[in-house]
Amino acid sequence: MLARRSLLGKPGFICRSCVRQCQSQLTRAYSTSKDNIYDVVCVGGGPAGLSLLTALRANPVTSGLRVALIEAQDLSKVSSFALPITQFSNRCSSLTPASAQFLDTIGAWTHMKRERIQDYHEMQVWDGLTDARIEFDGQPSSGAGKTLAYMIENLNLTSGLLKRLEELGGVDIFDNTKVQNIDLGKETEEMDLSEWPIVELSGGQSLAARLLIGADGANSPVRAFSGIGSSGWDYGRHGVVASLQLEGDGWGGEFNKIAYQRFLPTGPIAMLPLPGNHASLVWSTTPEKAALLKSLSPKDFIAMVNAAFRLSAVDLGYLHTVPEGQEEELSWRTQHTHINAETVPQTVVGVQEGTVASFPLKLRHADTYIGERVALIGDAAHTIHPLAGQGLNQGQGDVQSLAKTIEYAVSHGQDIGSTLSLEPYSSERYAANHIILGVCDKLHKLYAVESGPLVPLRSIGLKAVNALGPLKNFFMEQASANGSKLL
Amino acid sequence: MSAPSRPAGVLLRRLSKPNGRLLSSSTVPRASSRVFPGPVATSSAARWNSTTTSSSTSSTSTSSSSNFSSVNPDEVSHFNELAADWWDPHGSSRLLHLMNPLRHDFIRACHHTQADPPPSNGLTYLDIGCGGGIFAESAARLPSTRSVTAIDPTPSVLAIAKAHARKDPSLRNKLQYRQTSIEQLTIPTEEEAYDIVSLFEVIEHVDQPGAVLERVRPFVKPGGWLVMSTIARTWVSWFTTNFMAEDVLGIVPKGTHDWNKYLNEGELRGFLAGRGWSSPMVQGVMYVPGLGWKEVQGSERVGNYFFAVRKI
Repeated sequence: MLARRSLLGKPGFICRSCVRQCQSQLTRAYSTSKDNIYDVVCVGGGPAGLSLLTALRANPVTSGLRVALIEAQDLSKVSSFALPITQFSNRCSSLTPASAQFLDTIGAWTHMKRERIQDYHEMQVWDGLTDARIEFDGQPSSGAGKTLAYMIENLNLTSGLLKRLEELGGVDIFDNTKVQNIDLGKETEEMDLSEWPIVELSGGQSLAARLLIGADGANSPVRAFSGIGSSGWDYGRHGVVASLQLEGDGWGGEFNKIAYQRFLPTGPIAMLPLPGNHASLVWSTTPEKAALLKSLSPKDFIAMVNAAFRLSAVDLGYLHTVPEGQEEELSWRTQHTHINAETVPQTVVGVQEGTVASFPLKLRHADTYIGERVALIGDAAHTIHPLAGQGLNQGQGDVQSLAKTIEYAVSHGQDIGSTLSLEPYSSERYAANHIILGVCDKLHKLYAVESGPLVPLRSIGLKAVNALGPLKNFFMEQASANGSKLL
Repeated sequence: MSAPSRPAGVLLRRLSKPNGRLLSSSTVPRASSRVFPGPVATSSAARWNSTTTSSSTSSTSTSSSSNFSSVNPDEVSHFNELAADWWDPHGSSRLLHLMNPLRHDFIRACHHTQADPPPSNGLTYLDIGCGGGIFAESAARLPSTRSVTAIDPTPSVLAIAKAHARKDPSLRNKLQYRQTSIEQLTIPTEEEAYDIVSLFEVIEHVDQPGAVLERVRPFVKPGGWLVMSTIARTWVSWFTTNFMAEDVLGIVPKGTHDWNKYLNEGELRGFLAGRGWSSPMVQGVMYVPGLGWKEVQGSERVGNYFFAVRKI
């Protein structure tokens, strides 16, 4: 079945009959047909791929490029994303103000469902073993109410990007479509495409790419095609996610939302604010414990989440060993545990049905982001531990840099697929991402230590950072990438 | 093959500026009666010495220009050697590739000085001494370009340029290569003349720059621009382009540059003064390791620089 839909927001783009005509040509002689030659072919319609295409289409310098998007899923479902405001998708991301600013610049921010985005202004991070704590907030240097980040459902983000792309038009979209094969083209009398990637689609078409973008996730087929290696490791941890309901709008009220993260020996658990009394959970733990959490009844799952922010690591460990009855255990144990309620998230009172899920955590970094006529962005280039909420922002940083690199190449007559043109992108992003990957990896490992000299040392470190305003501000600005407020 | 041997007196000749490109044609037959503009003459008589006397040129290099001494056969054979890795981004032409975007910035800057805005599309280019086509391809890719004609007398270099252009289908109808020199090219009518005529890294490779500049004038449309880049003849340029780039670092093959042929900006101005040109523009550029090419005011008196004049 033909999966291609042309986004016809503006006149002057390919009409359906032309598309059909060109497809029949493609199947016959794809390697020489001019109709299947694209300047940019993006594999992967996630946040990174969609942002890149939006950035290229929104910029008058690059809007003349002929671009195509290939996506395995049905994008019409993404585009029509709609949930009642009482329900939230379990895959959320923390967008830094810099990322949000970029999305605004390319005209996508206004297409997001703003009532489903929650900005937060404070972050509470503490050590599960020693309770050493660091508080990030907008005070005092930057004035009250400074936004640290925006919590947004990934589907809200991709849906908004798609709407912006529809508005811009001019993208040939092949969704419900898989990449069957990528190979180099052929040399004919007419032209020499022997260095151009030719992407064969499950629909039978073949697209020649001046620049092939791998926005196709951690197991990127584009990366495999280009022979770019990647290194890294599995953490032996799973991230458990869920959409939760709290007893109230948070301790800071509706207008001063707080994010919480506690480092447990098995990994960090984070409660991130969503609009109203909703919150998003990301709990990184061992695969066995993740499996138990997923098997629990809603009331026991809720008890476990509440326990994870309140009980000692030892008590929490015990709760993981019983198959059920966590709720009763928790109510008994909380009577014997001193907790200052306002230092932990408000009590969870509900979990949205069907939102408890888990995925394995990995660290991966591609050896390079570019090859001849290939560039990798987002998870195809790097996969990060979610503890700092930087994954999606790194992808946005990639997109911003690559779009700028392509703009420069176009305005100076460079071939946008040549490594010479792409070098600035790779050199700008590789080191930046490597630092973030390394820091998050070290943090994970540091807090995975349960005893020995590192435990008091890391607490001293956290307390010291908390006491030193300027240093704390530095960390905070790194985390929020220092953009301006949008909401 | 090795670079041609040089007369003993010309020790400084190994030029080395970081880029190794092209050569091109130069001027009119030496026996001709054409007179070079005056101001230059004093600067260095040695520069006019042809190096052909000592050369052992390859047979291919002379095929198209045997009637002329203006295209220096040494240079032709030398650039034959460079041809192989012309498009290797890490090869000996890397610095030229990196410099290329600045050429477009410079041309834009020239256009911006005009009282009348330049056409936003339909521009025509003649690239003299196009080499492997680094500038010619990039000019042809610009949306504002209607066509680029690129010429070079060196057969192997042209072959590289043509083969490379076939790798980009978007160039097919916009870029035309011709193996010839400027004095063999038919002088166009005013309407057929070009909006932009470029002589990038050429003038320091020809024997008679004044004559070349005279020859080029009718190819520029009135109101169009003659744009060139070259290297100032200073101790700094000798040190960086000859000594460091060729002898010490080996970034550029030995014999790419002949320091004696380098032209100072004042000399260029002298060549062009009173000969139908206006609005001279100059922009010095420097290669800063780790940062790339940068525009540096005043550096035209030191090393590499762009120079342009508008035809009246």
